[in-house]
Amino acid sequence: MDASTRTKSRSKKPQYSRFTQQELPAWKPILTPKWIITSFVIIAILFTPTGLLCLWASERVVEIIDRYDDDCLPDSYSTDPDSFIQSNNTNKTCVRTLKVPRKMSAPIFIYYQLDNFYQNHRRYVKSRSDKQLRDPDEADETEDCKPINGNDDGPIVPCGLVAWSLFNDTYKFFKGNKAIDIDKKDIAWESDKKYKFGSNVYPKNFQKWELIGGGALDESKPLSEQEDLIVWMKTAALPTFRKLYGKINTDLEANETITVVIQNNYNTYVFGGEKKVALSTANWIGGKNDFFGISFLTIGGVCFFVAINFILLYVLKPRPLGDPSYLSWNRNQGAQ
Amino acid sequence: MTSDHSSYTVEMSSDELKTVDFQSQKEKDEPGGSNSSSSHRSISSNTWRANSIKEVGVIELGSKGARYGSRKGGSSSMSMSRREISDEDSRKVYINDPVKSNESFDFSGNSVRTSKYSVLTFLPRNLFEQFHRVAYVYFLIIAILNQLPQLAVFGRFASILPLSMVLLVTAIKDGYEDWRRHRSDRIENNRLASVLVNGTFEHKKWKDIQVGEIIKFSANETIPCDIVLLSTSDPTGVAYIQTINLDGESNLKTRYAKQETLRSNEVERISGVIKCEKPNRNIYGFLGTMEIDQKQVSLGPSNIVLRGCVLKNTSWAVGVVVYTGMETKVMLNNSGAQSKRSHLEDRMNREIIYLSFFLVALCSIVSILAGIWLRRHRDELDIMPFYRRKDYSGEDVDNYKYYGWGLEIFFTFLMSVIVFQIMIPIALYISMELVRLGQAYFMIRDDNMYEESTDSRFQCRALNVNEDLGQVKYVFSDKTGTLTENKMEFQYASIFGVDYNGEKTDFYGEQGGYYAKVDGLILRPKMAVQVDKELVRLLRTGDDVKIGKPIYDFFLALASCNTIVPILVDTANPAEKLIDYQGESPDEQALVYAAAAYGFMLIERTSGHIVIDILGDRQRFNVLGMHEFDSERKRMSVILGCPDSTVKVFVKGADTTMFTVIDKSKNTDVVTATESHLHAYSSVGLRTLVMGMKGLSPHEFEQWRTSYEAATNALMGRARILKKVAMNLETNLSILGASGIEDKLQQGVPEAIESLRMANIKVWVLTGDKQETAISIGYSSRLLTSKMTQIIINNNSTESCRRSLEEALIISRKATTSGENAKPLALIIDGTSLVYILDSELEKQLFELASKCAVVLCCRVAPLQKAGIVMLIKKRTNDLTLAIGDGANDVSMIQKADVGIGISGQEGRQAVMASDFAMAQFRFLVPLLLVHGHWNYQRMGYMILYNFYRNAVFVLVLFWYALYTAFTLSTAINEWNSVLYSVIYTSVPTIVVGILDKDLSRTSLLKYPQLYGSGQKQESYNGKLFWLTIADTVWQSVVVFFVPLLAYRKTDVDGSSIGDLWTLAVVFLVNLHLAMDVNTWNWIIHASIWGSCVATIICVIIIDVIPILPGYWAIFHLAGDGKFWVCLIAIIVASLVPRFVVKTLVQHYGPSDIQIAGEAEKLEDQIELRNAEIEMNQPQR
Repeated sequence: MDASTRTKSRSKKPQYSRFTQQELPAWKPILTPKWIITSFVIIAILFTPTGLLCLWASERVVEIIDRYDDDCLPDSYSTDPDSFIQSNNTNKTCVRTLKVPRKMSAPIFIYYQLDNFYQNHRRYVKSRSDKQLRDPDEADETEDCKPINGNDDGPIVPCGLVAWSLFNDTYKFFKGNKAIDIDKKDIAWESDKKYKFGSNVYPKNFQKWELIGGGALDESKPLSEQEDLIVWMKTAALPTFRKLYGKINTDLEANETITVVIQNNYNTYVFGGEKKVALSTANWIGGKNDFFGISFLTIGGVCFFVAINFILLYVLKPRPLGDPSYLSWNRNQGAQ
Repeated sequence: MTSDHSSYTVEMSSDELKTVDFQSQKEKDEPGGSNSSSSHRSISSNTWRANSIKEVGVIELGSKGARYGSRKGGSSSMSMSRREISDEDSRKVYINDPVKSNESFDFSGNSVRTSKYSVLTFLPRNLFEQFHRVAYVYFLIIAILNQLPQLAVFGRFASILPLSMVLLVTAIKDGYEDWRRHRSDRIENNRLASVLVNGTFEHKKWKDIQVGEIIKFSANETIPCDIVLLSTSDPTGVAYIQTINLDGESNLKTRYAKQETLRSNEVERISGVIKCEKPNRNIYGFLGTMEIDQKQVSLGPSNIVLRGCVLKNTSWAVGVVVYTGMETKVMLNNSGAQSKRSHLEDRMNREIIYLSFFLVALCSIVSILAGIWLRRHRDELDIMPFYRRKDYSGEDVDNYKYYGWGLEIFFTFLMSVIVFQIMIPIALYISMELVRLGQAYFMIRDDNMYEESTDSRFQCRALNVNEDLGQVKYVFSDKTGTLTENKMEFQYASIFGVDYNGEKTDFYGEQGGYYAKVDGLILRPKMAVQVDKELVRLLRTGDDVKIGKPIYDFFLALASCNTIVPILVDTANPAEKLIDYQGESPDEQALVYAAAAYGFMLIERTSGHIVIDILGDRQRFNVLGMHEFDSERKRMSVILGCPDSTVKVFVKGADTTMFTVIDKSKNTDVVTATESHLHAYSSVGLRTLVMGMKGLSPHEFEQWRTSYEAATNALMGRARILKKVAMNLETNLSILGASGIEDKLQQGVPEAIESLRMANIKVWVLTGDKQETAISIGYSSRLLTSKMTQIIINNNSTESCRRSLEEALIISRKATTSGENAKPLALIIDGTSLVYILDSELEKQLFELASKCAVVLCCRVAPLQKAGIVMLIKKRTNDLTLAIGDGANDVSMIQKADVGIGISGQEGRQAVMASDFAMAQFRFLVPLLLVHGHWNYQRMGYMILYNFYRNAVFVLVLFWYALYTAFTLSTAINEWNSVLYSVIYTSVPTIVVGILDKDLSRTSLLKYPQLYGSGQKQESYNGKLFWLTIADTVWQSVVVFFVPLLAYRKTDVDGSSIGDLWTLAVVFLVNLHLAMDVNTWNWIIHASIWGSCVATIICVIIIDVIPILPGYWAIFHLAGDGKFWVCLIAIIVASLVPRFVVKTLVQHYGPSDIQIAGEAEKLEDQIELRNAEIEMNQPQR
């Protein structure tokens, strides 16, 4: 036994296996006309109805959008919006009326929408301290937050540009004279409230010392309950974004008129941004968006078109599969 | 017994030295002038050498000639010996005085270190070596840039991770290898040797041996360092050594101790000084002098035994240590093979330059736009909530992290380089190395390239040209040993004008061939040779003196005029021994075996005499001198003192040079008859040699001896002087006859050549043989067919070469324009013509002609001409060349060609050492090129394109996003995801597919050799495919980026969530793209592709459950939304549809050969399967 294994190992003959000879069993797909046409037809069949479905779903979403930043600026300040918005003495209340086009069934989501606000700007995204938000013992972890990090009197909690620029317009909705309840609970992610924002971390020195950037925080409430802040600090991916303000848990009937009382506090004038308020219902597709429907219909249509063409092609100009006479050297011989 | 040898030692005064030098100088000035009969040849060879001075020194010249004699007289040693060693270039060794030897010089000890690192130096040295690769330096620069606070795009750890992972893996691998080397070093250094200490030999560890010590070793012992022989068990001072560890040659070589030191009983009393060269890596050269007993003795390569050699057939030997440890020649030669770069990689590097331009363009766009943005918003920057340039917290209001407009643009540019860094697919270089490793694994383990008889596998010696194997257009093949077996068999003899090629018999009257009885022992040659009946009869009876005498001399010449060493081998029968003739040249072996079969059995050889058993009568001949073979003379001669005290010279050599020194006035009819026999032999493919002899009168002998002794003791220009002495001696010979030796074709050569020809590979045969031999081998190997028009160019002046080239070109043009019934052309050209053509303006015409010919045969070519022919093609085309050969004379060609293949055969291992791949048989070229070469090329070509695509699509997604971030290069895709993208998410499948995917099966590739054309036509990787890939990449990146963008526009989506969507979409897309192009799905490919997708999902989830990262829980929120899934499906379908449509259209309208063959293969498989099923079902019925 020992001797035989020794002689075996001494011989350099490669031991045969399907692996070393590269002969593992394998599936070799070949693009036959049947295959190609079937796959295009299947895509067409799947995508066209899906596209219609998406369009229908998007159609069912009711959305009311109202841009108010310009209209809520008194004419006297139209050349100098900064002084209007920065002054403590100007009346910033602004009343808008909206008409419900179709029936909106609860829950209706209230969003504010900012344009041209780069929440994804490199300077901005990094200017926060996630450690500080979670743990009261790490309040001093403000290195990334400069210049809004506090001073010798103590650190700012929450520090950084993101928190500093907290959106602080407020909306009140009335149906006639009757106020509509806005549910501001659970507008932030559960995971954020539980793990990212500590229930024992309280705002400190926030918007106190220097330039005021945005909203203030209730120092008696822990961060985990400051849902507006949590929502705001989930930085948006794109320069035009919406953020959830609250929910209305009653239905709004078609053609109803709704009055919105806005406190126009937030300064978007400085960088030419827009402010909008949006009411929207939601279904499985999210908000109103025709993009999916159109793109699925396009893909489906293109695939259908391609499939038809391939069918014609194979009928008019078929090529037998694997015919050796089509090999280049055989073809050249034929030509001669 | 030693009487003839004492005469070797003649003291030389320095005056004599000068004259000798002067003479050699004079000879240099007028080349060939001293020998008018051969003037033409030497001029031509000088011209050749002068024209290609750049080549000299690359390899040793003319060693294939070793077949005709020994290699020691080669020109490299000649050039070495021409210069005197000056004091500063030399080392002094005091024999038996290691203290004095070592006091003024800092000689290294004899411990060797093949390991590179120690514990302390490992880290710095290994890192230093790893950073020799440009790829790593690029990584490093990017990582360093990222550490600057202004440019910190990625977190510190994330930015270093990929580089450190690669470094770590390589370091572990290197460390493990080095640990093994340490272990083997330790074993080697602690071996014991017998060293002379205070007058007695004691055991000492190898590592403690010092220069100047005397060591003694016995038979079968390995020599621990380079030593100069002082004395051996042989009274004449001969020692036989085997150099298998040095150059792989298993035959024995002879080394001599100098007469002055031959004092076997009193070695310890030898004292003297050796002055020799500084350590160098020339294995075949050594130059030194020994001063002993106030006498100056010269030392040459035959006096030195190198570390690693094994002493054989000599019971003991004593020598003095001259080089130790790392300074021994074998250690100095311990470097790896030269590196070549594959064509594909060259092309790829060009495309990588395009990609870097592309990268610079992307970065410029981003930084310019960033500049414009900053300019436009310059008034708002101070207060803008997402910029806040001013820091109001301090007393003074300062800019915070703002360095001015210009610098901001500059920093943006650098940052974008960091973000887009993987546009340059650096990981590709590492993947390519891994893929080549995998391909090499499969080539080595291929059953079809294993040779049973020699138990040798295919060897991959270089890893960087695997894919070149798939694009070869020209194969340059050596003949002997490559196309043929190099197992020489004596076939015909023409003796004194009579051709003996009659009926053959197996035995010599008695059973088992001729044998000799010596001291009651039966000696039998190891190989039996068939003999000619008539010749045997003539020899036996010996009645006719007129015929018998030349026959006697002819066989005496065969038995004596060589460097063969007979070695006795024991057999099962204690009364019988076999004689194994060991020598460096297979031709000589064949001749000696033939002589033995006819009853002239060489029994013993020492440096001073040989013993030949002539028809049962033991005779002793004194070897008075020997002029060894050199490539210029192409002959060797031996001066024998015969038992009847006459002195005879026997000469053996190539016919061209022999007929110039044969006195044609004597025996004119014999000469002409021999010439016609030679012609007949070579036209049936035999290798021919001509023998001549002459007797020396005492006066002539004396004259020769003085000049010979002066020459052998010359310190400078020894080889040149010796050659001159030889030329003077080898004149006016009388002809004895000629021999014809057959060299059988290797198995499968004609079929292999047929396949290669069908694969549109041009096979050129370059051989040192005669034209007739070459042509006949051409026919038998089916290289030439009777249908071909042969163009033969055989000239000896520039003018006539030009004329015949022009004529040939006219013929070739006619042939190519005559259309259907055009005969293929075959060009046969000889070395002399090539001397005038290569490196002159005629080269172009030769190339034009050769490229029109189906076959080219070059005969009588010198080693450097072989390289010259390869260069002729390489200079003028982009086509890939492959050189295949087995001998030292093929080394230059193997190194020059794009792919060099060594045949590990009979003729030593120099060709193998210089080669990129080594194999046992010529016919393995077919599976190597047609199967592995095709696969390697197709796999590598696809892998490169895919890697470009894979990285570019990711970079473009990042780029599109940069346009939505006010050009600040923040990324939605988590930094960990971007780092892991090329490390984990997409790296494995491409490597696995690069190793395992097969576009066609082995059977199809061998069935249609024409399929090899896809590599020659660069079908798997070319500029068109590159730009198509880039276009596809741009489209796919647009889809990947804009579908989520439009879908999530004006929603409350956060950066991390959409980033995760982009990550997953890109990874799935890229892996599915690969899946779409895979030809053969085996389980490993399945596992790697789908495994990578799953691994990505797992990694993304892990990253999203770390609360400290911004994207905490994002993936769960994202995946809970139907939009996410709809997006993924839309992205993948919309991205791949154009590619799929183009692919199917191309396959329908312009199907490639590979495509059709693949379909045929599939159909056949299905038919087979169906048949098998029917067979299975039948018995059940």
